[in-house]
Amino acid sequence: MNRSHRSPLTWLSAGIVVLVMSAPILWAIITSLKPEALAISFPPTFWPSPATLENFASVLRSETFASDLWNSVIYSLGAVALALAVGVPAGYAAARFEFAGKRALMLTILATSMVPGVALLVPTYILLDGLGLLNSHIVLVVILAARLVPQTIWFIENFVSALPIEVEEAGFIDGASRLEVVWKLVLPLIKPGIAAVAVMGVITTWNDYVTVAVFAPDVAARTLQVALVNQAFDSIGISWSYFMAFAIVASIPVVLLFMVAQRWFVAGLTAGTVKG
Amino acid sequence: MNSLVGSPPLSDTTEHLTSEPKPRKPLQDQPLFWFAPALVLLLVVTLYPLAYVLWMSLQKTRYYELAGFVGFENYAYVFSSREFIDSSIASLIFVAGSLSLAVPIGVFAAVVFNSLGRYASFFRVVTLLPWTLSMGVVASLWLWLLNPSYGPISYAMSQLGLPQSLLLGDPDLAIWLLVITTAWWSFPYVMVMTTAALQSVPKELYEAVDMDGGNSVVKFRFVTLPHLLPTLGSTALNLAILYLTIVTLILVLTGGGPLGATATWSYQVFNGTVQTVNIAPAAVYSVVVLVANLMLGYIYVRSTGRATG
Repeated sequence: MNRSHRSPLTWLSAGIVVLVMSAPILWAIITSLKPEALAISFPPTFWPSPATLENFASVLRSETFASDLWNSVIYSLGAVALALAVGVPAGYAAARFEFAGKRALMLTILATSMVPGVALLVPTYILLDGLGLLNSHIVLVVILAARLVPQTIWFIENFVSALPIEVEEAGFIDGASRLEVVWKLVLPLIKPGIAAVAVMGVITTWNDYVTVAVFAPDVAARTLQVALVNQAFDSIGISWSYFMAFAIVASIPVVLLFMVAQRWFVAGLTAGTVKG
Repeated sequence: MNSLVGSPPLSDTTEHLTSEPKPRKPLQDQPLFWFAPALVLLLVVTLYPLAYVLWMSLQKTRYYELAGFVGFENYAYVFSSREFIDSSIASLIFVAGSLSLAVPIGVFAAVVFNSLGRYASFFRVVTLLPWTLSMGVVASLWLWLLNPSYGPISYAMSQLGLPQSLLLGDPDLAIWLLVITTAWWSFPYVMVMTTAALQSVPKELYEAVDMDGGNSVVKFRFVTLPHLLPTLGSTALNLAILYLTIVTLILVLTGGGPLGATATWSYQVFNGTVQTVNIAPAAVYSVVVLVANLMLGYIYVRSTGRATG
């Protein structure tokens, strides 16, 4: 169907959308391949000639790159692991238990998901400062994980609800406890759901700037995103070609993850919103 | 939702109390066992700081110290300030402006790609790329693109004979450039949501238009658009909630300037947290952002029926 729509005009429109989308990214890539003197020549030159990989080499060689990268990885994986560890059981229970007060409980969880992180910056900063817990890796992982928890609960609830109950009943009849049933029968069946939440969670956490910047002001606890943004504040000393190379390097992990797992990424975006 | 699905068939017949005494259920058959870890986490990380910020907004403060209850004095102080009016205007322009660009472009992209048949998914995946980038990266790309001395946009404007402009340094222009950047980053999200909704448009309706000799504009106006409206409404609400809390983009591109033209409520919170002599106004701005988000969230839940339980 839609044969009639595939006119030159349609292709032209699609081309324009892709061009508009990709222009800022292409410009960043081109700049990152230029020596700094060429990057700030005016009028701007399009082709990076002479091209160089020196900017990427300097990014990788920079003093704090290893620790920035390590923190980004640790926070992302840690937050997702913790969010799954607490969110999957809750999502399962939301799908399979009925009890007094369940509605109030679910509404509370829903309400917490609407509390924006930015509204909690001030109190959390003061509380952490008072307890001497700023710059703590574990504290950051816990805070970043809590952001992912409500979404994880719904997502898993949706997945478990869609499973036929007979699978679990068969497990109970065979004498398995509920923990065994969930671990051995339910979890393998909701792997796609877990993958979707994990992909979304890693991307969200990796991309965070505000939380890490405010609660981890030390260089030793910061991430690639914080290191990137900090460069923008130095408008005199900034090297644009280096800055673009840094932005690209800081994005490569999420872009790769997105390309490998785009099916789950899209599932995560549209979950629960298109119900009927 | 079915009740009692999943209780072991040979144990209790109901989760609710009944008149007959019965043996205590094992821990792992009690809901609290499954919910407790998540609840503890949300209580400590979200609800406790939430209560604290509400309490703090009613206190006199010196730097980060609380110095006594003052009722709504902080609110009166903030709400009557010029800065609050400016930041409310900035927030409104930022959210409404970004929506009015991102939503139409996202729908346009979805509809165009949808008619590309087997090439559609390639175009969709490529176009989704900006949405995966962080706000810090997006802001960095555009900071460079919009650089008034060396940037291609500045150059293109001069070639077109337009007057020289400071772009992000121009108080009248800065917020609109933030709007364009935000729309660029977020239109792919609208595209994904619209694409999902397009799959469920009944094909017979298009065939009916065909039979009546209608063209694709008629199809879009009378079949596609009415079908998309609920999805677009909930997508726009979701984005509005997201836009209201954006800090990083503003921080990098304009730092809230020039002359406070781009200092939204959320930016005021961030700025007040990292550099302040008196934290109370930042607490008030936090409550403002919170209330705005809860209101939008409430509308979202009411209109989509997403509340579970």
